[in-house]
Amino acid sequence: MEEKLREELIKLFESKLSKPMQMYLETCSRCGICTPACHAYASMPQAKYTPAYRAEVVRRIFKKYFKLQGKIAPALGAAKVLDENTLDELYEAAYSCTGCRRCMVYCPFGIDTQQIMSIAKLLLIGANAEPELLTMLADVSVSKGEGIEDMKESFMQGLKRLEDQVLEKWKMEAGEMEAGETPIPIDVEGADLLYVALAGAHSIIPAAAVFNAAGEKWTLSFFEAVNFGAFVGDPTKTKLILDRIVNEANRLKVKEVCICECGTAFRVMKQMSGSQPFEVSSITDVHAKYIREGKIKLDKSKLNLPVTYHDPCQIARNGGVIDAPRYVLQQLGADYRELSADPKYNWCCGGGGGLVAMGDETHDFRMKSAKVKADQVQQTEAKILATACENCHAQLSDISKHYNMDVEVKYLSSMVADALIQ
Amino acid sequence: MSDEINVDKVMDLKGMPCPMPIVKVSKGIKDVEVGQVIQAISTDPGSLTDFPAWARTSGNEILKTEQTEEEFVFYIKRTA
Amino acid sequence: MDTIYYLVLVPMIYLAFFVFSVGTIIRLINIWRKPKFPTTLQIYPEKKPSWLWTLFDTFLLNSARRHNPVLWFFLMVFHFCFLLLIIGHLELIKDFRILQIIEHEIFLGKGFIGLILSISLIFFLFRRFVSPTKDLSVPEDYYLLILLFLAVIFGSEMDWARTLYGYEEMGVEDYRGYLMSLFLLKPDISFVDAPGHSFMLVLHVFFANLFLMFFPFSKIIHSFLSLPLNKLRRG
Ligand code: SF4
Ligand code: SF4
Repeated sequence: MEEKLREELIKLFESKLSKPMQMYLETCSRCGICTPACHAYASMPQAKYTPAYRAEVVRRIFKKYFKLQGKIAPALGAAKVLDENTLDELYEAAYSCTGCRRCMVYCPFGIDTQQIMSIAKLLLIGANAEPELLTMLADVSVSKGEGIEDMKESFMQGLKRLEDQVLEKWKMEAGEMEAGETPIPIDVEGADLLYVALAGAHSIIPAAAVFNAAGEKWTLSFFEAVNFGAFVGDPTKTKLILDRIVNEANRLKVKEVCICECGTAFRVMKQMSGSQPFEVSSITDVHAKYIREGKIKLDKSKLNLPVTYHDPCQIARNGGVIDAPRYVLQQLGADYRELSADPKYNWCCGGGGGLVAMGDETHDFRMKSAKVKADQVQQTEAKILATACENCHAQLSDISKHYNMDVEVKYLSSMVADALIQ
Repeated sequence: MSDEINVDKVMDLKGMPCPMPIVKVSKGIKDVEVGQVIQAISTDPGSLTDFPAWARTSGNEILKTEQTEEEFVFYIKRTA
Repeated sequence: MDTIYYLVLVPMIYLAFFVFSVGTIIRLINIWRKPKFPTTLQIYPEKKPSWLWTLFDTFLLNSARRHNPVLWFFLMVFHFCFLLLIIGHLELIKDFRILQIIEHEIFLGKGFIGLILSISLIFFLFRRFVSPTKDLSVPEDYYLLILLFLAVIFGSEMDWARTLYGYEEMGVEDYRGYLMSLFLLKPDISFVDAPGHSFMLVLHVFFANLFLMFFPFSKIIHSFLSLPLNKLRRG
């Protein structure tokens, strides 16, 4: 590795050293209590899949360049020079970690391995060694935002085609629709709620039906919620993708920004948008609120199979939305079974951190590392596996195929839309 | 479907949710030579914005977009 | 020989305390000068009041208890005994009324505390020779444990030896004289240079000094960082 590149990478490293990060890097006592916490290790017991080992890959570089110990006596802490070899190790560590933060619950100090892996991801970007695909997706996403004016036309056209399908789920009487109102309103200034969806029909149609049923004054965002910048760990792109939604919300003067079923999008929006004049909520929260306030009524007789719910890590353990999905499922009349007695110990689906978006490339690892997840689901004997995250949904569907599981993976929001009583 | 455009590879992306269509196409385009054309068919409305954005960042060119009742058809020329 | 005794018992102690305190303070200041993290790092569901749970997590090692009860037992015993030893050493300098709230003889524990510590240390050390903890460990981890073990073993031996052989010459008052003289910057080792017994003191002090000097450069800094880190997790 050239000296110049190395210096740049060390600067990147330094840019990540916030107070908590510095403490995370200084503290680990390598006690190994976190070892059984990681689904990758639990499914494939190899040292490289333990949280502390992963973190140590980054920590060794930290010791080498930022700590006196590593400078005086590098052997003591096994400090490591940053070179091609180390980059490979960083890649392996970072892209076998889904950032679920289950290990953080185990650690006596609460060390956040996801944060430490974000250094690894940034270094990989700096060295041009990150997964190309994720950068491509992040770039496309950024570019879509920049070219929004040119694309508005085709975006609206695409939406028009979905309207019938929305109406199929929830008929809007002509009288109910005020002038200019459509089944999928967009760009409405003064709406109460801005819904940020994914660029796909499954994320828009059911949500629209429920909003309309609840009589919500809502408007659909031009932008997609998912933040590929966060997956690849690029702070600049993460911020770009986040900021344009924030700007749109402020331009339309909405009171609430509701994020679709996407874990990363929700956590980034909720925790990184700073203090804003609007609230950030997950679509599950919003649905629970509608039911509680009697704004929508659900048919309780539709679900006659046992149901379980997978808490998406970024929404539950890391985002705090835990009671709402349980309430919704209860209101759907579900024969509900918990995956894990305490939701903060739920196993990760194994698809986070950009692994699902990387598709076939990671398929083998995703399936092997999700063994414990598959077992956990099967133990409940549930036939319907609900979840509230696109990533988890894709991964869980892959798992159920791979392990021949007899479950149907469903979006919670679709289940609500399907049970609407006119 | 198209008289004037000579298609070298057809990619069926029907039923795939976003962003899988552009993921597949970004891989698939490496299988054709510069100057050749891919016809990509998707059903997800998100593709309408995804494809132009992808083309711009990757430096490829979308020759034409067609919409039928159910499908979106993109003609993409590899230029990079 | 006398020179070595003197070097260990006087200049090295000063050096060790200097390195320990200055090193630790610099390291902590370094951390505190880093920029704040812009958002929360909390784990949900949250329990209120979070500061109370933070104390609970930090001092009772709640997550260790849940996920590795055997290790937790030794960790608790170890840390508690370590605390007692710190108190014991303070009392070797002078009487602290407040430390005698629960009355005890000085030096407390009759050497049993040291024994318990040694056993825990051996347990910690053996763990590190077995996978998967072995795969995580770096040389620092072993050295620290060995250093501590040596310091503790010779420390408690001093007490044991006294009871076994009926040494009268080096007791609490002698240590007080010696430590006070160090404290007042008028070092006098004549209190503790009794032949036959003082070599244990010298070895004890020697290893303890090494440990102290290692402290600011090692992971033992967790003794200061555990509380703020646990607070981050509790929100
Ligand atoms: S964050 Fe999750 S995937 Fe990553 S090391 Fe911790 S438990 Fe494993
Ligand atoms: S539990 Fe915490 S301190 Fe122990 S090895 Fe894991 S990350 Fe390090």
